[in-house]
Amino acid sequence: MRSNTTLAGRVLLTTALLVLPVVGCGTVNTTTTRQAPSEDQVSTRTQVNDLFTQIFLKATDVRMYPTKGGPLQTQVDVANDGFRTRSFSYKFEWLDARGNVIPSSIYTWKATSVPAGGSIMISSVAPSEAATDFKLQLRRGQ
Amino acid sequence: MPRTLNTIRLAGVLAVPAVLVACGSPAKYQEPGGTSSIVSVGEVDAQDLSMAANQILSEMIATGVLKSAAHQPARIRIERFVNDTSSNFPVDVVILKMREQLVNSGQAQVVTAYGSNPESKESQDALKQQAFREGKASVDSLDPDFFLTGKVEQLKRSAGSTKQANYYFSLTLTDARTGREVFTKLAEVQKQGTKNSVGF
Repeated sequence: MRSNTTLAGRVLLTTALLVLPVVGCGTVNTTTTRQAPSEDQVSTRTQVNDLFTQIFLKATDVRMYPTKGGPLQTQVDVANDGFRTRSFSYKFEWLDARGNVIPSSIYTWKATSVPAGGSIMISSVAPSEAATDFKLQLRRGQ
Repeated sequence: MPRTLNTIRLAGVLAVPAVLVACGSPAKYQEPGGTSSIVSVGEVDAQDLSMAANQILSEMIATGVLKSAAHQPARIRIERFVNDTSSNFPVDVVILKMREQLVNSGQAQVVTAYGSNPESKESQDALKQQAFREGKASVDSLDPDFFLTGKVEQLKRSAGSTKQANYYFSLTLTDARTGREVFTKLAEVQKQGTKNSVGF
């Protein structure tokens, strides 16, 4: 019985030693002074077509506020819950009060990456003051 | 039997090129600047221009600098935009993307009756004639609020076979009345890899 316990302990220790470096390698520890959610936080709805991306890459906080110039700006925190750095592409498009996309030549796909355990902020400014909502498309990097 | 063997060999020889042809990538239309675009390590790509224009214009709109102009919409005179990189690309595309958004949304007007652009010639002549008739030294519509200048620079490094290129798109708005800089933005694009690829 004792030998079984010792064996189980060794297996657990070996597994931990094997897994910990993998988890720890390149992951990010984050410290913040902010305890409460942002005052400009807004609610969102996500349509998931790529479950794998959704599991690891999450929009944890979405904020929207008017800029000094007038049009709205949004900031989206994207967190990586996986064990390795993940690359992804994203594109913002802005909608008017009626829900129509405001045409703009500057909507573009951008590529970036987020380290394991970390998060990055992606941002967009509306092309005009007619914008009231935005749409964010996010896809895994190739 | 040898004839059958030869037939098989011939079929095999023909099949290989056929497979190679079939595996090739036929030309097709793509979303401009989309995620299937070609990514070059040592060159400026189409999507880089879009990304830079997006970053600069977003910042310009957010600061509200255009609303501080004496004229509304603000009048901008486009000066030099210099490509100081080893990559050959149409640098005016960055400005054109920004112009399209600013002018068409009514946030700014570009003084086209200036410079050596083809679009300027007719309006320059018309305005000069008008100014002459009215005895004016200058024409009101040639009175800009801002001068716009820009530059693209690069920084290249490599480690082994991995290459890295950084492209810095800088753009500055100068107040035409005071000669002081009122807005500046540096948009940076960084690319890394051993060879060019399709998609990002």
